[in-house]
Amino acid sequence: MFLWQYLAPFLLITIQICRAQTCEDFTDLDLSHAFIGTSLRIKLLLYTRENATCGILLSHTNPTAHPQFKLSRPTTFVIHGYRPTGSPPNWIHNITDMLLSRDDMNVIVVDWNHGAANVNYMKAVENTHKAADNLTALMKKLQEHGVSLSSVHLIGVSLGAHISGFIGASLNSTIGRITALDPAGPLFTGKPPEDRLDPTDAQFVDVLHTDIDALGFREPLGHIDFYANGGTDQPGCPKTIFSGGSYFKCDHQRSVFLYLDSEEQKCASRAYPCTSYSDYMDGQCLNCDRFGTAGCPVFGYDITKWKDVLLNLGQTKTYFSTNKKSPFCMTNYVVDIVTWNQEIRWGYITIKLHSGSKEAVATIDHKVSKFKKFTQTKLLAQFDKDVPSVKKISLKFTTGNVLKPKYKLRVLRMRLTPIERKERPLCRYDILLPENEEVTFRPIPCEEYNF
Amino acid sequence: MTSKTNAMDNIQLQNTNTNGNDGAAHVDIEPVAAGNGEGQGYPTERDGLLARQANAGNGETMPSPHEVEAQRRTNPEKCAMCRIKDQLNEKVFGVFRLWMIIVLILIAIIVVIVVSMTLCTVLYEDVDEKFDSSLFDVPLYFNGSFRLPNQDFTEDFLSLSSNKSQEVAAELQQKLADLYRTSPALGRYFSTAEIYDFRSGSVIAEYKLAFVMPADEQDQLRNFTLSREMVYNVLRQFLYDQEAEESELMYIDPGSLTMY
Repeated sequence: MFLWQYLAPFLLITIQICRAQTCEDFTDLDLSHAFIGTSLRIKLLLYTRENATCGILLSHTNPTAHPQFKLSRPTTFVIHGYRPTGSPPNWIHNITDMLLSRDDMNVIVVDWNHGAANVNYMKAVENTHKAADNLTALMKKLQEHGVSLSSVHLIGVSLGAHISGFIGASLNSTIGRITALDPAGPLFTGKPPEDRLDPTDAQFVDVLHTDIDALGFREPLGHIDFYANGGTDQPGCPKTIFSGGSYFKCDHQRSVFLYLDSEEQKCASRAYPCTSYSDYMDGQCLNCDRFGTAGCPVFGYDITKWKDVLLNLGQTKTYFSTNKKSPFCMTNYVVDIVTWNQEIRWGYITIKLHSGSKEAVATIDHKVSKFKKFTQTKLLAQFDKDVPSVKKISLKFTTGNVLKPKYKLRVLRMRLTPIERKERPLCRYDILLPENEEVTFRPIPCEEYNF
Repeated sequence: MTSKTNAMDNIQLQNTNTNGNDGAAHVDIEPVAAGNGEGQGYPTERDGLLARQANAGNGETMPSPHEVEAQRRTNPEKCAMCRIKDQLNEKVFGVFRLWMIIVLILIAIIVVIVVSMTLCTVLYEDVDEKFDSSLFDVPLYFNGSFRLPNQDFTEDFLSLSSNKSQEVAAELQQKLADLYRTSPALGRYFSTAEIYDFRSGSVIAEYKLAFVMPADEQDQLRNFTLSREMVYNVLRQFLYDQEAEESELMYIDPGSLTMY
């Protein structure tokens, strides 16, 4: 009895130590490693619903040996990108949690921080090929042990997207799905398909672009390519270098957060096939007929619902807009306005939808709109949130002109048509919009239109 | 007298200096003379007068041309800056110095811009608010009906001559007239609103709206501003707006509105 009193704490400590040893964390390096340069060393961390927070180190030679790895479940690999500072990606736990909450699967985090952490980006790019060879061998092992490669999903971020592509190419497109989150552009742009990700690398390749003008890849790389906010500047990201490091990575990293949002199913962002973002913003690409009853594809994790139709279409370039922060999705309406001003008026329209205490705002200011007498001006209004039953609408007309007299926009009819919901359009007739003044009114359900 | 002769001597000396010197010295002196407002750049026979004026006007603050030249020769590198400074500080007219004049001109320009802008804004005439109703001669009529669910159809409504029906008709006509007269788009074309019959079914009121429009624009107006869609929906949205008064006697059911 006396002895136990002393032994018990020792035992508890030993158990704790054992546990800590079995939990494997993502390699944490620092700037000094990045400056010296790191050579490639890949660590495979397995997460399942049974060990959602505690990573299990998998062996490269015998990955299926661990009892936690279940052959019956689908397997998803998460492959990170360039780590200039050597720190672990701050989203790694969010993505494993989210994947496990969606499906019972084996989530394998490919930790190649040794190799990706290097101030010399070219070295990291070189390592992508080596990492891909290494992982291809692993896939072959898995296949030998009875894992169907068509149930394998590779989620690659930045350089990781191209690694996924290389793996897929060397396995003759037998991999089920590759999701590329803002695939890296530098040193990959302009390369032939075998030196980058391309649609032939897997049975289905979906790509998100958020930083095509800097760290991302401009051209389409998958069966479907989503260009969030046109793929260039993401809302809420710093516009000047004075904001420090986030200026460089904010747009690029946004791809992961958009994907996480879609996985969480907070809301749905419909993506519209279009030739350019400006055409999309002008409301010229809202036709979703080619997708049948499913409508235009919803960006994100659940894009597999559109897999068959997208494979038939070959490559599809789509656009959608997002908010500054999560929830990122916006709700789209078409607004058309007919005016009777004798002279052409140019300006911007701000619309607010009210429903009880909820209020959604859309500002149409990507370019100045033209209002010509008795001619319909069609605009795409993107609201920051979804308002279920609109009770009141506010309209504001602005020109941005300080020097000129205050103009009035004389509206014959304004019509608001929801795109994503099958609801009747709302109308209001005979509105006088003095510049910079918000006019609020109750819309009526539209009946018939002759103009 | 002594000062006069001194000045004369100075000028004489200066002239000889200038003539005997290189071009740079000549240029150095020149603006001093020009700055005095007379506009004479080159030394002429009137130099004596000019120098005297300069002395008289600037008094003790103005160094004699001799001294100026001496100063400039000692600090040639300062010359450009000090020349501009000197020029700016020179008295141009009465108590005004050159920099004051420049600032005043700038202020004047700004004032002119602001005044013209405000004038523009104040005098701006909205062409859409101007119309000549004497040119409106083509009539256009709309008929229709709506229901007053809170009224009981009594014998009074059978004839428009009864007090009750006249009272209700007058109120409804007023309502319609007020609505269309205050409409930004339709107001100018509106002429009359008339209730010409009551039918049973609670009470159904038959109305007639009359508009007049200019002949030269009638095709466009018929298709847009004075289209049935427009006239009908202006009334319809007005009826939907009165939601709060649903229990009132004069309440009109928006769903019952017809127009043709």
